[in-house]
Amino acid sequence: MLANVLETSGISKRFGVVQALSGVSVHVSAGRVHALVGENGAGKSTLMNIICGKLRPDEGELRIDGERVDFSSPLDAQRAGIAISPQEINLVPALSVAENVLLGAQAEGAFGVDWRETRARAAKSLAEIDDTIDPDRPARDLRKAQQQLVQIARATATSARILIFDEPTAALTDRESERLFSFIDRFKAAGGSILYISHRLDEILRLADEISVLRDGRLVASLDADATDKDEMVHLMAGRETASPTGRPPERAVADAVALKVTKLSRTGEFRDVSFELRRGEILGIAGLVGAGRTELGRCLFGVTKAESGAVEVFGEPVTIQHPADAIRHGLVYLPEERKHDGIFPLLSIKENMAIASLGRFQDLLTLRFSDMAREVADYVQRLRIKIGRVEDPITSLSGGNQQKVILARWLMRDACILILDEPTRGVDVNAKLEIQAVLQGLAARGLSILYISSELQEVLDVSDRVLVMHEGRVKGIVDAAGATQQSLLRLAMS
Amino acid sequence: MSERIASTRPARGVSSPLLSRFRKWEASGILIALLLLVAALSIASPNFLSQYNLSVVARQASFVGLVALGQTLVLLIGGIDLSVGTAAGLSTIVGCLMLTKLGIHPYLVPLLTALFGFGLGLINGALIAGLRLNPFIVTLATGEVFAGLNLVITRGYPIRPLGEPFRVFGQGSVMGVPVPVMIFLGAGLILLWLLTRTRFGRNIYAIGGNRDAATLVGIRVWRVEFIVFGLAGMFAALAGILYASRMDSGQPSVGEGWLMGAITAAIIGGTSLRGGEGTIVGTLLGALLMAVLANGIVLMNVSGYWERVIVGLVVLIAILVDLARRR
Repeated sequence: MLANVLETSGISKRFGVVQALSGVSVHVSAGRVHALVGENGAGKSTLMNIICGKLRPDEGELRIDGERVDFSSPLDAQRAGIAISPQEINLVPALSVAENVLLGAQAEGAFGVDWRETRARAAKSLAEIDDTIDPDRPARDLRKAQQQLVQIARATATSARILIFDEPTAALTDRESERLFSFIDRFKAAGGSILYISHRLDEILRLADEISVLRDGRLVASLDADATDKDEMVHLMAGRETASPTGRPPERAVADAVALKVTKLSRTGEFRDVSFELRRGEILGIAGLVGAGRTELGRCLFGVTKAESGAVEVFGEPVTIQHPADAIRHGLVYLPEERKHDGIFPLLSIKENMAIASLGRFQDLLTLRFSDMAREVADYVQRLRIKIGRVEDPITSLSGGNQQKVILARWLMRDACILILDEPTRGVDVNAKLEIQAVLQGLAARGLSILYISSELQEVLDVSDRVLVMHEGRVKGIVDAAGATQQSLLRLAMS
Repeated sequence: MSERIASTRPARGVSSPLLSRFRKWEASGILIALLLLVAALSIASPNFLSQYNLSVVARQASFVGLVALGQTLVLLIGGIDLSVGTAAGLSTIVGCLMLTKLGIHPYLVPLLTALFGFGLGLINGALIAGLRLNPFIVTLATGEVFAGLNLVITRGYPIRPLGEPFRVFGQGSVMGVPVPVMIFLGAGLILLWLLTRTRFGRNIYAIGGNRDAATLVGIRVWRVEFIVFGLAGMFAALAGILYASRMDSGQPSVGEGWLMGAITAAIIGGTSLRGGEGTIVGTLLGALLMAVLANGIVLMNVSGYWERVIVGLVVLIAILVDLARRR
């Protein structure tokens, strides 16, 4: 039995009527990786926030090296040797990468900050994680994945003994993730302890020594990573039978009619000579590593950015799309990658969030017909099985998966016939993910055409009829999903 | 939290959901404050409730209130217009010159002045929405230009007299209600309808709440912004010309102090400086509260020097009450 470096015992926390955690005990030993898994809302973040001093537990205690500690602020936790790499990116955009890495801990010389020393230290920490990022660039110039890496470097740059990673690989490419994993291996070998949260179960199995499964604020199982598998974890997380991803969806008839035809579309620095056809009722996956230009392609087709050359046809008719409003008029719509930032209106109700793109339909000469709107919204709530209290509640009262369904309904209400979905299941829990995928299959069966952009290769393979593989802005090939594997897609991308 | 539980449970009495709705309404705090203040003043000073005094208060509220209505729209889209005060001044001078120098019919002058103000606002709109410049900086600059042009034209001298027929807009009244008050309330009603019942209005809230998402649902954001800044200029100009009619004089100083007054009225009425939150009713009540406060200070024989101290404290209290309501 190894000594526990970090131990929580019987932690409970309540927010109003919601019991976020009840009696959770987990422990991490030196040189071990302890993974926490659970659906969204299972209590993982609350537990993290308690461990890193942001929240105080109502009951239970926290022990470090067997000694009881009582953190009243994140600073106390830092002093005790705990560092966290949070899920949300919170870099200071105008400051350099180096300063962001050592924010609040810049090296000090006789006359204030010693910039040379600060830069050197930051560069050293950063190189452990990624050696392609220039420490002198301002953080705002970085891609999302790079920002994530800088954030990770910020945690590792502290001399913490206990590192907490909250969904560190959400935005990373496989190669970047691998580097992070090898850092974790080294940190572990040096005797450090890690608490690791991720929705990606493969990654958990690869890294973790022990796995704790949380459900509805309770610890439902502590597993030995060598003696478990994905099915068991999913089963424990969900607490009920989930529709297991059966691989291939039931056969759907894809019509011959071409819904969207893209010819040699180019935009400097983003993608080049992209050509493909999306047929009516087809789901075309777009796979590729981060930086392949998939999101950029989606945004360009939707009119957020302008293509420099190339042509787009919708149902055989050439179209010019200068603004999202033009795309929407042609029935072409886009679900953004960053739901919180680009998708929802946090101050508006569920009803208005859903109807916002269709207000023109409810507008009489003088006034909006709110009762018609409410009726139609209620109809979609039922059809997509969105779990809500009332349609007047704020959208922020919903879980990520249900918010995503509201946004999907927003476009169905607008009679969209071509959906471009950018990472539609990111940050959504396992069950909601399967439900969303089932809804999409149903829509395609009814004749909608879908471009499905996702970083998770298996997901693309599960959902799509065909898969378009992009790499560094170019189309490397389009293959039938039925015969393809993750390996074959990756090989195609890298070829 | 207890409110949320109350709202999801089936209501037992008729009064409890009404009460809970009232408590959640953004303007409930200011309505209570206004009622308390009115009650206190009517006890303390018998003159307060006289028809004459009430019409003075209401008229006082109307000028800054009209400016505040336009400012509310700008604040709702997440912007700010620092030029409303001087836009009112410049428009007023131009309106008075139309009347005295060009001999335009007095009844057309308010309309044309409002149009001129709309044009001034559209200049802001073009710079902010078209070129995507920062509204704070743009309106700070254009506000100075408007103030300067005012002085270039007038050299600091008032334009007067404006003549008998023109005075009806500021001094007249219909069935005891002063004309500026009717215009103020009418404008409020129109904006209330615009914001709650039209697509344009809902788009304003969407843009203020999440500008990027608004673009991605197909709202032509720049078009809405452009028009909203135009409207802010228009309401300012309207307030200015009504005030000139009231004074029977086009003073170059018209609009001084209105900028802060308008922002204050909007904010104590519950409008957020971050955009996306606020109501017309709140702003109407905010403007009324400010006018009642100023009137109360006079009636109670408090030194006028105290007015700004008291207004400042009222704003702070409003913010604290709002904070308490949200928690």
